[in-house]
Amino acid sequence: MSGSLPDPSFLSVFDALIFQKTAERFDHLGDLPSWFPPPGLRQEIDLPPGQLVDRSFFLQHFLHEAEEWWESGKRGQCKSGLWSEPALFGEDVVLEATAVRHRSLRYVILQRFGPDFLPIQPLLQKAREEQLSHRQAVNQHERIEAQLGSRLAKSEQERDDVMAVLDGLGLGTIMLNANRDVTFISGKARELLQTDPARMIGRTLVEGSPWKPADSVRVEEMGRLPGSQRQVVPVVMDRKNRSATALEVEVQDDPRDPRKTILLLKDVSEMEALRRQLVGPTQFHNLVGKCPAMRAVYERIGDIAVVDVPVLIDGETGTGKELVARALHQLSPRHEHPFLPVNCAGLTDSLLGSQLFGHKRGAFTGATSDHEGFFESAEGGTLLLDEIGDMPLSIQTTLLRVLQEGEIIRLGESRPRKVNVRVLAATNQPLQELVDKGVFRADLLYRIRVARLRLPPLRERREDIPLLSTAFFEKSRVAFGKMQVLGMAPETMQRFLRYSWPGNVRELQAALEYALIHCRSEIILPTDLPPELCDVFPAVQSSPFLKSNERQRILDALAQTKGKRAQAAKLVGMSRSTFYRRLTELNISQEESSR
Amino acid sequence: MIQKKICMLGGFAVGKTSLVKRLISGMFSEKYLTTVGVKIDQKSLSVCGQDLLLVLWDLYGDDDFQKVRASYLQGASGYILVIDGTRKETVEVAGKLHELARKTIGPVPFVLLLNKHDLVNEWVVESPMVSDLSDQACLVSMVSAKTGEGVEAAFSALSEAMLKS
Repeated sequence: MSGSLPDPSFLSVFDALIFQKTAERFDHLGDLPSWFPPPGLRQEIDLPPGQLVDRSFFLQHFLHEAEEWWESGKRGQCKSGLWSEPALFGEDVVLEATAVRHRSLRYVILQRFGPDFLPIQPLLQKAREEQLSHRQAVNQHERIEAQLGSRLAKSEQERDDVMAVLDGLGLGTIMLNANRDVTFISGKARELLQTDPARMIGRTLVEGSPWKPADSVRVEEMGRLPGSQRQVVPVVMDRKNRSATALEVEVQDDPRDPRKTILLLKDVSEMEALRRQLVGPTQFHNLVGKCPAMRAVYERIGDIAVVDVPVLIDGETGTGKELVARALHQLSPRHEHPFLPVNCAGLTDSLLGSQLFGHKRGAFTGATSDHEGFFESAEGGTLLLDEIGDMPLSIQTTLLRVLQEGEIIRLGESRPRKVNVRVLAATNQPLQELVDKGVFRADLLYRIRVARLRLPPLRERREDIPLLSTAFFEKSRVAFGKMQVLGMAPETMQRFLRYSWPGNVRELQAALEYALIHCRSEIILPTDLPPELCDVFPAVQSSPFLKSNERQRILDALAQTKGKRAQAAKLVGMSRSTFYRRLTELNISQEESSR
Repeated sequence: MIQKKICMLGGFAVGKTSLVKRLISGMFSEKYLTTVGVKIDQKSLSVCGQDLLLVLWDLYGDDDFQKVRASYLQGASGYILVIDGTRKETVEVAGKLHELARKTIGPVPFVLLLNKHDLVNEWVVESPMVSDLSDQACLVSMVSAKTGEGVEAAFSALSEAMLKS
């Protein structure tokens, strides 16, 4: 049948319901498919297939669409897309309608798909399930991220609040981990330290902090002590072209993890400056004292140090003449060169001459090799001639020539050698009187006292005794391991203040050391003091009693040390040379001293 | 009896089929079975004293694999726009489908349902995200096809709005 539809019996192989649209009704063609009537129409046995359209909401809708398509004259076919209508066709039944045109005739082909004939279903199902699964995972991640972000923000807020409080209190914070490496530096701490945090993070305080290594070590060591024994560590930061910053560092365990440490930094520069203004300088190059006389000494040292002239330092034994000489050297342009102290007392002419100027091999018996003297050894630096009043006259003459010419001649040589040495001289004797007696050269005196410094004896600066006592006490209790001794009884200090201190600061130091050795309680009692301080009268200068008392004191010391003069000198707070001189002056015989 | 065609619109797996099933049979299945094509159901309701037959066109979920054919919307008296409250991306799909409906059938009544309200802990869609749609909908409701929360009320509200329009 050319140009017409195939035999309807042939169409039955498609198992489809085929309608022809005529005027106002549908006529089905060929055999009914196996699935007709569908479940929703089985009750109506005689219902013609064409009536199906009236029962199906979808087909009615599709036919409107098909009508437009037929009218449009388009070629091909118009498909409804897949649909299901359980009430009419039953569950799991999917259908599709196709509108076609053959010549002027219009047809609708209705096909039914069971679950097995619809390959798109499982594919789509799988794709969407995977997409859902992926989305769930993404949502999960987003939720966790949001939760973590929220916690982080909260933690940061809390940290910022704490830091703001600490900063507001002027406290800088540094955190150390269990290895003592810096893990955190607060804004205030950065400001106080004036350093790049990157230089400190991940490093120890010794490696990274701008503090002196010794200060860093003290802070770290403080952290190793039990909490109850810890003290605030004072740290001073010197800065180029800027005033120093004084900090107090408090070391605390991290309450969350005791292996970690929190350092709280407090700027006490202002307080320290005010304190200094209040009390004045208490220390100057190991010299301790704040009395007007000592302040004047400090100022004078500063003035003289930079002028390259000889200096005569005058003061009683034990007043700190060598400390003054060292300060003069340290503050002078020669401070990078040697400082050599030489005691001129108790040596023979030749021995002192050899020591000062050197000698040539064979210059005298026992001179087995060439020897460089102190003048040559101190080249570029400073030479302190202590006890210069005891220097033999012959050496005084040579010294004068050295000072004038700037040359020395070794014993046994004739060739002068240029030397560049600053000479400081110290004495506890009235040199002018020695000049009058003819035992000291006047021209040498004038030469060495171009600049002069007089150190006051301790009895003239009693207000410094508490300061000196405290300084020696702290130093000695550490050195002697007597940390259980916490201080001095007021009565002890009273005795210190009333005593005349003929041996001056050195004697005070020796007395404190003596007391510490004998102290068995937490404070030094008057009974711990040396015998001469046990029954102290109001200070009297150079009374006969004092002299006899000193004689007895020296004899006691000699007895205590079994005649060892060096130890006895230390015990009574005198230098060895002074001790020997006092032995002579007080007529203490060899026999007496070795009893 | 008055018949009204309602389209169920939304992204895939937002719960359109489950909402229809809950309305018609009062049942819910945990198993997700994607809808292929269009599924036609019917539900009789009595609204404001009037019997009404709702012809529910449950359209397949719109995504990259299947795009909703505008012709399916023709003749609808209203529609239900479904969003999955646990998936933000379904808000955007709902917005696009709403635009398609407006172009195709004009300003007919619709309700906006935020489904899966039973999954409170996974809820991510907040009110501001749907404010544009909310302003135009005759009802915005958080519903759960699983528990039945708000489902029947939503269909009743739409029916009432359709009768009044």
